[in-house]
Amino acid sequence: MAEGTGRGERLSIWFFVGLLPLLYGLVLFPYGVWEAMGHEAPTVLNQLHPTMWWGLLLLLFGAFYVIRFRPGKG
Amino acid sequence: MLSFAALGLALPTRQLTALAPIDIVVLVLYFVLVLFIGFYVKGATKTSEEFFLAGREMTAWIAGLSFVSANLGSLELMGWAGAAYQYGILATHWYWIGAIPAMLFLGIVMMPFYYISKTHSVPGYLQLRFGEGARGLSAASFAFMTILMSGVNMYAMAVVMQTVLGWNITFSIWVGAVTVAIYVMLGGLRSAIINEVLQFVLIWAGAALIPILGLIEAGGWTNLKAQIAVNVQSNTYTHLWSTLGTFKGNPMGIHWTGIVFGLGMIISFGYWTTDFLVVQRVLSANNLRSAKMAPIIGAAFKMAVPLIVIVPGLLALAVLKNPDGSIMHLVPAEVAKTTGQHTYDQVLPLMLIRYCGPGLLGLGITALVAGFMSGMAGNVSAFSTVWTYDLYGAYVNKKASDSHYVFMGRMSTVVGMLLAIATAYLVANAASIMDYVQALFSFFIAPLFGTVISGMLWKRATSAGGFLGLLAGTVSSIGMWVYTTFGTAEHKAAALARIALSPDAQPMAENMYRALWSWLICVGVTVIVSYMTKPKSDAELNGLVYGATVIPDDGAVTVWQKPIFWAILVSVVFFILNIVFW
Repeated sequence: MAEGTGRGERLSIWFFVGLLPLLYGLVLFPYGVWEAMGHEAPTVLNQLHPTMWWGLLLLLFGAFYVIRFRPGKG
Repeated sequence: MLSFAALGLALPTRQLTALAPIDIVVLVLYFVLVLFIGFYVKGATKTSEEFFLAGREMTAWIAGLSFVSANLGSLELMGWAGAAYQYGILATHWYWIGAIPAMLFLGIVMMPFYYISKTHSVPGYLQLRFGEGARGLSAASFAFMTILMSGVNMYAMAVVMQTVLGWNITFSIWVGAVTVAIYVMLGGLRSAIINEVLQFVLIWAGAALIPILGLIEAGGWTNLKAQIAVNVQSNTYTHLWSTLGTFKGNPMGIHWTGIVFGLGMIISFGYWTTDFLVVQRVLSANNLRSAKMAPIIGAAFKMAVPLIVIVPGLLALAVLKNPDGSIMHLVPAEVAKTTGQHTYDQVLPLMLIRYCGPGLLGLGITALVAGFMSGMAGNVSAFSTVWTYDLYGAYVNKKASDSHYVFMGRMSTVVGMLLAIATAYLVANAASIMDYVQALFSFFIAPLFGTVISGMLWKRATSAGGFLGLLAGTVSSIGMWVYTTFGTAEHKAAALARIALSPDAQPMAENMYRALWSWLICVGVTVIVSYMTKPKSDAELNGLVYGATVIPDDGAVTVWQKPIFWAILVSVVFFILNIVFW
């Protein structure tokens, strides 16, 4: 049974929990890489490239949950 | 818990920032996903049990995250970040002593009774324990207040969106309300819960960068404390308890007795154990052990929330600067109207803009929008349950079919949302209504806790005692509020000094002590009337009261499965944190 979404459904609530960060990671990480190549926004501590690293973190977190709770697994 | 007293809702003179195309993409992805979820779970939402209680099939983790998330609205975040800037680390009390003991108490002591009584709502429990009078009073007040609060939140959030992004108020109200109405109408509590769990992840994804980057900029916690002490000319802003020995010794003007007894023992217990908005999430658990574990899991996460709420407020005291490099001073909304400065409640958006460029800014704004929408969803799903079961089903149409009640649930979701929108426009035209609505909500919380806890722990409490205790507690709370709110300035100061026990008490303290007195009055009247009236037999109280109920085994075998083990662990961490930040 898909956890949280009801009897008979295929997609678990944890799949959705992973899907949104994964999508955000796919948007933010490439944008952060582009920013890190000399297009940083004028924010404090932008030399740490927060968009790139945060995007990567979201990508990994999201990918883990999406794969772990992908439809049909278990 | 109630928090937007600090939110100054003055219409802005200028917007703080604007969204880039990548921010819009991030925001749109969220809207698409929540609407998809609403349509996706509609097929699993056919019976009333599925619509109102998510089929009672949620695991402890889902129910627990939803339980803590239902309370983690965006106004909550911004209001308490502003309070942390204004009062310092004392604002953390609303997250720790003002939440953790009550959540653990709910899980270990109260949840077995809510769960095994198979009640569908808190008013439903009162009906089983005390009869129709107590149910009717609590259901009507809850339904009324939930709609009003939802409307007030809606308006407050629309003003925030106008302040931060320049969005039109009507646009914000309708886009948020229509989206929420669609997915709650389709998926009921299940939709609301899924959205709350998503929102919990989103809030951390959108807000956790602020304390991380802020602490890097400030040079760590020790340096931050030193900078705050210099900037505010006081070291009272970073101590949780050591300044609470006197009313004058701390920025909040409150005494430790008010925090411990008013906030820690009455207000927080009232909110976390009897407010149906949060309790409904736990009632959706799939078994008794999950129902007991859910509030404990929620408590563990709740302890971490000050990192994304309180720390940004404290960081702002040290790092926020004007363009000329001088320290930026935030002010109350009334002052900002004339001076054009930023207000306390703009701390979180200001810190977000400080560290987050395009993309991350969109993520932060989406987290705020998600918090706002899940708060509305929580209100409207709780309203439709109480309306359908405890008002419509109890007094209007007692013998309708299950499908009719589901239909009524869907309709009351839409009607509730329209009423909330109407309230939002009412508040837009008379902002002072907002203060009254918040006060109105506080009238019911403490007495309701008195009634529920007497009914749950004391066999001798009778129906008449429960009803009259609830009525007396509520009326006395209203009386004390009128006493301290209206009249000349001298009268109000004298009234506040009597209610809060000190001429040095600040308005924040009044709420604590009023809750304490109204709870005592409620319990006192319940006890006196109960001794004058005939109690129910043990057989009638089976499943409802301690001493008359054999609590079924929750199925835990190993120590790791036992809720009490995790409750003790959370308690130990709670004590350590309080000592570390003493």
